[in-house]
Amino acid sequence: MVKVLGSLKTMNISMILRKYAIIFIFLGLFLLFSAINPAFKSWENIRNIIIQNTYIVIVAVGISFIMMSGSLDLSVGYQVSAIGVLTARLMTAAGLPVWAAILCGIGLGMAFGFINGGVSVLLKIEPLVVTIATLPVFRGISNLISGGLSYTNYPESFRLLTRGTFINIPYDVWLAIAAVLLAEIVYTYTYFGRYVKAMGSNEEATRLAGVNVNFMRIATFVISGFFVAIAAFIYISKLSTVNATYGPGIEFTAMTAAILGGVSFNSGEGKMWGLVIGIFTLAIIENGMQLAGWNQYLQYIIKGTILILAIGFDRYQRIQKTKRKTRQLEPRMATQ
Amino acid sequence: MNPMSPILSVKNITKQYQGITALENVSLSFFPGEVHALLGENGAGKSTLIKIIAGAITPDEGILEFSDGIVHKFMTPALAKDYGIDVIYQEFNLVGCLTVAENICFGEKYGRFVNYQHMKKVAEQAFRLFDVDIDPSIAVYELLSSKQQIVEISRAIFRKTKLLIMDEPSAPLSVAEVEKMFTVVNKLREQGVSIIYISHRMEEIFKISDKVTVMRDGQKIITLKTSETNRSELVNYMVGRELKESFPTRKPATDQVVLKIENVSGNGDTNIFLEVNKGEIVGLAGLVGAGRTELARVIYGVDKLESGRVFVRGKEVKISSPSKAIRNGIGMIPEDRKQHGCLLTRSIKTNISLSILPRISVAGFINARKEKECTIELAEKLNIKAPNLEQQVSNLSGGNQQKVVVAKTLATDCEVMIFDEPTRGIDVGAKQEIYKLISNLAEEGKAILLITSEMEELIGLSDRIVVLSEGRIQGEILKDDFSQARILEMASGMA
Repeated sequence: MVKVLGSLKTMNISMILRKYAIIFIFLGLFLLFSAINPAFKSWENIRNIIIQNTYIVIVAVGISFIMMSGSLDLSVGYQVSAIGVLTARLMTAAGLPVWAAILCGIGLGMAFGFINGGVSVLLKIEPLVVTIATLPVFRGISNLISGGLSYTNYPESFRLLTRGTFINIPYDVWLAIAAVLLAEIVYTYTYFGRYVKAMGSNEEATRLAGVNVNFMRIATFVISGFFVAIAAFIYISKLSTVNATYGPGIEFTAMTAAILGGVSFNSGEGKMWGLVIGIFTLAIIENGMQLAGWNQYLQYIIKGTILILAIGFDRYQRIQKTKRKTRQLEPRMATQ
Repeated sequence: MNPMSPILSVKNITKQYQGITALENVSLSFFPGEVHALLGENGAGKSTLIKIIAGAITPDEGILEFSDGIVHKFMTPALAKDYGIDVIYQEFNLVGCLTVAENICFGEKYGRFVNYQHMKKVAEQAFRLFDVDIDPSIAVYELLSSKQQIVEISRAIFRKTKLLIMDEPSAPLSVAEVEKMFTVVNKLREQGVSIIYISHRMEEIFKISDKVTVMRDGQKIITLKTSETNRSELVNYMVGRELKESFPTRKPATDQVVLKIENVSGNGDTNIFLEVNKGEIVGLAGLVGAGRTELARVIYGVDKLESGRVFVRGKEVKISSPSKAIRNGIGMIPEDRKQHGCLLTRSIKTNISLSILPRISVAGFINARKEKECTIELAEKLNIKAPNLEQQVSNLSGGNQQKVVVAKTLATDCEVMIFDEPTRGIDVGAKQEIYKLISNLAEEGKAILLITSEMEELIGLSDRIVVLSEGRIQGEILKDDFSQARILEMASGMA
């Protein structure tokens, strides 16, 4: 026990570095881009970055439930697309009241989640693999709903979602804040959140402890579908138009940001503040490089590289941890 | 080569794991054209020895001397291959998605491209030896496990092995197939191959081996010529010791039946009848693969119960999942602590409260105070040694990890507790604590089903021992009749 405690103490500095690495990266990038172009740190620009990313925050919060429970969802982009065109079509072409269209959109999102989770449980397939299969299915559904058309001229009350403000802050920013706080509360204080994380760290042990992991699997996907629907509303409201090609790509931005922010998809670990900073790190890279006048394709390369580095760093830390443990277990072997 | 010089001599090999001695000063020689049987209970050190010879682990002390006079302090897998050492482990070492022929010729090259025709020929040749009909172009995972075993042995033949180590090779084979395997082993022996044969089945050892070495507690007890010994002598050597551990005495069990299993089949077990009373510890004995863990998993709802009925306190219960088992007062401490018992990367508190969260929550919100109280109470009761309950479980010693798993089960207020190998990988001092813990739980009135491969533990703790063999109940032994010899005989199907 004494030995273990000793090694814990020496681990502290590297642990802090690891835990808060994303903050240092964020601050570093912020200073870098501010130095390249002073316009970057103007309030106008920062405000823009925040407003442009509210829907990503909400999608990422939704996917975090799936990731924390130990999986990934690749179909989210087409979920956004299908929910977007359904809601838009219902409240424009079909003339449904806004609230009814919104309810239908949320229903569709949760149904998508139910399909992903349910198929995975029923057929005992890795959820990630299921979402690879449902991705084209949702794409087809989205195109069928839209009938190949774009929808614009939303009712004024729907446009308020991104144009209205409360204490000078747009409604969608409030929604993003609410989503993050809600998720944080669920993860920290509820047993549902505890179960999600437990599943992510060891699904079999969690099942043997008496947790209905099948129910949990479906529930995490349904919750994700709910958040995806909310995000889809903000997304189409912001763009003022939507067709079936709008949406794909969001899943990768959200998952990249989550991973960057330390939300792991194989250990049930992650914090909501990390997720938010991850998103804004990606956002300032994009915005900063635009302002610096860098080639757009270069941006893609840099984004991907940063993701690889983030995952690599995480993996490296894990391996170091395991090595330390092995050394503790078999000290004699190491000295041989 | 001088037939009298050994292919390999291991000398004074010692190996410790975390202060537990797995092998102590073991010296053995293996000669060409000889089948050398290793005999001993689980944990006697047989597996450690063959792993050292195969280069899978490094010994702490001692040397390995080969017929060419070269001495090694430790082996590596590559070195073992160069010396023609091949191991057939208990778990298969085949690549499931490759064909039989590809597996047999794995790692060999003929020319620049893969030569399927040649591989097929090699495989067919090997199977002719065995007189079995296996299609060399079929994928290995499609074969029955007995056929897979034959593929493994065929591979050893193909590789022109000089020293073949067979760890429980007959386990997945039928009687007829064992016979065929013996013909192959005999052929290998004629070709001058040295064979180390590990088996629990006494009759096989007498049939096939030239020499037999008995091991116990990591030590070599004796090496005998097989023709000059008999079963009871070997059993005596295997057992031959006093119980060193001290086991707490406790008040006798009540006659109140808590768990009753009636004609249960499933997961490879058939027609199991079992009763466990309040305050009683029933030991489940059997060799590896006898179906003990399988039975525990059926009772706990992890694996499917195919037929039969389970009663708790006289009431029939339908258990289709662990959560239902827990709701009906059944708890299990799984065999594999790290994979199935606990969440290694989470805190002690999170682990202990995992099974009872809904009960200590209001409207879905965990009552932090209750959680803390409950975990502190259990941690104190079980004497979990850690600076605080936020400590990550992976930082604890094996014994304390096991206590966390027990605490998690205890939190559910279960009446029946199934312990599956509760002291595996736990050091000696902590074992005593676990014994005391199990004993105390029985005194408190829990009905306990104990699965363990350690004889002392089984005899020291149980009130009654039920012996399983090949998925069936072989018999029951009452406390007064406990003897290691008797259990071993029953478990190996001799009685």
